[in-house]
Amino acid sequence: MSENLVELVRRHHGEQAPTALAVLKEAMDARGEITDADRRIAAERSGLPEATVHGVSTFYDDLLAPRGRRHVRVCTGTACFAATGDAHVEQLRAGLGLELGERAADGSCSLAETVCLGFCHSSPAVRDGEVIDAGPGVVERVLAGTTAAAAEPEPVSLLEAPVLTRPGDWSGLAIALERSSEQLLEAVEEANLRGRGGAGFPAGRKWAFARAAAGEQKFIVANGDEGDPGSYIDKLLMERSPALVLEGMALAGYAVGAAHGFALVRSEYPRSKPALEAAAAAARAEGWLGEDIRGSGFAFDVTIVEGAGSYVVGEETALIACIEGLRGTVSARPPFPAQRGLFNLPTVVNNVETLANVPFIAREGAAAYRALSPGATPGSKLVCFNERFARPGVYEVRFGTSVRELCERLGGGLRDGRAIKALQIGGPLGGILPASLLDTPFDFDALAAVGCMVGHGGILAFDDTTDMRAVARHLLHFGASESCGKCFPCRIGLQRAHALFAADDAIDRARLEALLETLELGSLCAHGGGMPAPIRSLLAHFPDELGLA
Amino acid sequence: MSVHVTIDGRAVEVADGATLLDAARAAGRWVPTLCFDPRQAPFGACRVCLVGVEGSAVPLPACTTPCREGMEVRTEDPTARRVATAVVELVLSELPEPPAAHTELAGIARALEVGEPRWPGATHAVVHEDDHPYLAFRHELCISCGRCVRACDEVQGTFALTAVGRGFDANVAAGIEEGFRHSACVSCGACADTCPTEAIAEMSLLDLASS
Repeated sequence: MSENLVELVRRHHGEQAPTALAVLKEAMDARGEITDADRRIAAERSGLPEATVHGVSTFYDDLLAPRGRRHVRVCTGTACFAATGDAHVEQLRAGLGLELGERAADGSCSLAETVCLGFCHSSPAVRDGEVIDAGPGVVERVLAGTTAAAAEPEPVSLLEAPVLTRPGDWSGLAIALERSSEQLLEAVEEANLRGRGGAGFPAGRKWAFARAAAGEQKFIVANGDEGDPGSYIDKLLMERSPALVLEGMALAGYAVGAAHGFALVRSEYPRSKPALEAAAAAARAEGWLGEDIRGSGFAFDVTIVEGAGSYVVGEETALIACIEGLRGTVSARPPFPAQRGLFNLPTVVNNVETLANVPFIAREGAAAYRALSPGATPGSKLVCFNERFARPGVYEVRFGTSVRELCERLGGGLRDGRAIKALQIGGPLGGILPASLLDTPFDFDALAAVGCMVGHGGILAFDDTTDMRAVARHLLHFGASESCGKCFPCRIGLQRAHALFAADDAIDRARLEALLETLELGSLCAHGGGMPAPIRSLLAHFPDELGLA
Repeated sequence: MSVHVTIDGRAVEVADGATLLDAARAAGRWVPTLCFDPRQAPFGACRVCLVGVEGSAVPLPACTTPCREGMEVRTEDPTARRVATAVVELVLSELPEPPAAHTELAGIARALEVGEPRWPGATHAVVHEDDHPYLAFRHELCISCGRCVRACDEVQGTFALTAVGRGFDANVAAGIEEGFRHSACVSCGACADTCPTEAIAEMSLLDLASS
């Protein structure tokens, strides 16, 4: 991202100016569309050039689709696709008489696409104004105007003492503050806490880089942009255990030497920001956030920011750009955020679930943490199942459990007597595991060995009726429409890959594989680099279904 | 502080913080680039400057990878070249017509021996802006390399240009899609000077080319 623009943002932020994105979101919420006058006002209020603000207004999904008095957003995520094959999208288009992204001429209603609402446990899901309804009959309820809020799942922990499915109580911070910040950093390094957002990078190492970076002012950023369709784990943490996430942020701040944290929450989860803000207010009232926390001399506070619809914003440099209110495009690293991150200052970016692990480490120590999953990756993991399963929901499990055990014992197998054809684990950038490999242990290295990944921990089943060419088309449509447009291989290559599968023609396998290589080796970030993974899996396990020449 | 690296077998010493591209150029070796302009901070968008580095399983972008002591770089690594060539072919495929022969993009395509792109399908919509007396904008030739936007930002300090849209539909706009004339543009020409496709060009050059 432009160093000059970020410096402009930093100065205006220091004067309490809103970001350009925040002002544009307000305009959209107020009037359902963004005009050039809105862009000029956003430029004026944010202190950014008009062209820059215009660029922001053309980037985010939430700012693009015009809204009628009634705004219907249909989820086109992978769990909803696995449930209906996109029939729910067609039924809504026909029933409302609107195309995706269209507003009725009289302004009464509008229809837009959204990926993903995090109701993968009861797909398909539709957001009707502020109400998210999901499950069988949802299309009929939307058309009848009788939508009602869908139920949220109750998380289940398989641990005797849950680490992640409990509300935060600040006991980890209380203990950490009695010791030095070095001791906390050492404990997190020794615990070998691996990032839960996809890449699995050791959190302690990230913290050590940021702690060692020059400069007085540093930041903690909680990545709550859980964009992976099929995953609703961070949603659960932010909405059910927000204090645990905030406690993790404060602990990161203590270890790194940061006095402020930002949490970026996706706009597809309208309940997450209010939940985190309520928890922050309660923590301030109890003295767990603010100046001189509990007389320790340590100061830490948080700001909760809502995104505006972009998958790639989950990448850390794009996430920072989004918090700054700029276009959520990826920046080449180095510089890494630990050196030059938010407002050009040293920043730690950790996933929400990663941070939720820290209070346990601070309270119980590294050895207790490592003992949670003997012989496997330390700690525990939240996994979630999609609607195809008999018992969909969020479960806290130990690493190393076999995927079969998770699917059969927890998920209860598939509903309606259907069989698993394949699983996509860890989001769209993860490979696809055929039913024949269900005995693979659920762990970073074991899944990587079969071309898959832990990712966010979403376990998404395609049942035995699924057309795997349609899966490829669905995933590449997502990949192409979410490309941020910065690097050439992803920007053009995903469009071309999707076009191959969208046409009815046979696909030249050699050309497809050359294109996948270009994406894998050429792309700037994990989006373009990772989208080939599921396609590679399909080529390996379901070649006869892809229509290859 | 300096760093020693080997480029295609030739030892070079570069300043600390230098990139692989700096080192390759210091060694007199050619590395193709599209989004790079030495007057601007490296951007890392085009991925055409990929090179092979000993010990790295994947090719690395030369413009954004810092030199580390002892690195052995192969500018003509077959994998790196194959990917770079494929990327240039993709870029040519998004234009509704081939770039003019004298442009930087056409030169890179010739050097990498990229022929007719084999990707039929969507191309950029033809949109011409010619409200400005000296600067013409042909949006269909824009490859989103960001050089014009960065020239306006980092060289001129005017911020009249921005990237717009996302994915395949990404492009560049002056002001709020109002054209150079009505935006904050000061007509310095830095954008036209750096554009590798003549999506933004000075009128006099266009006249010269057509005559």
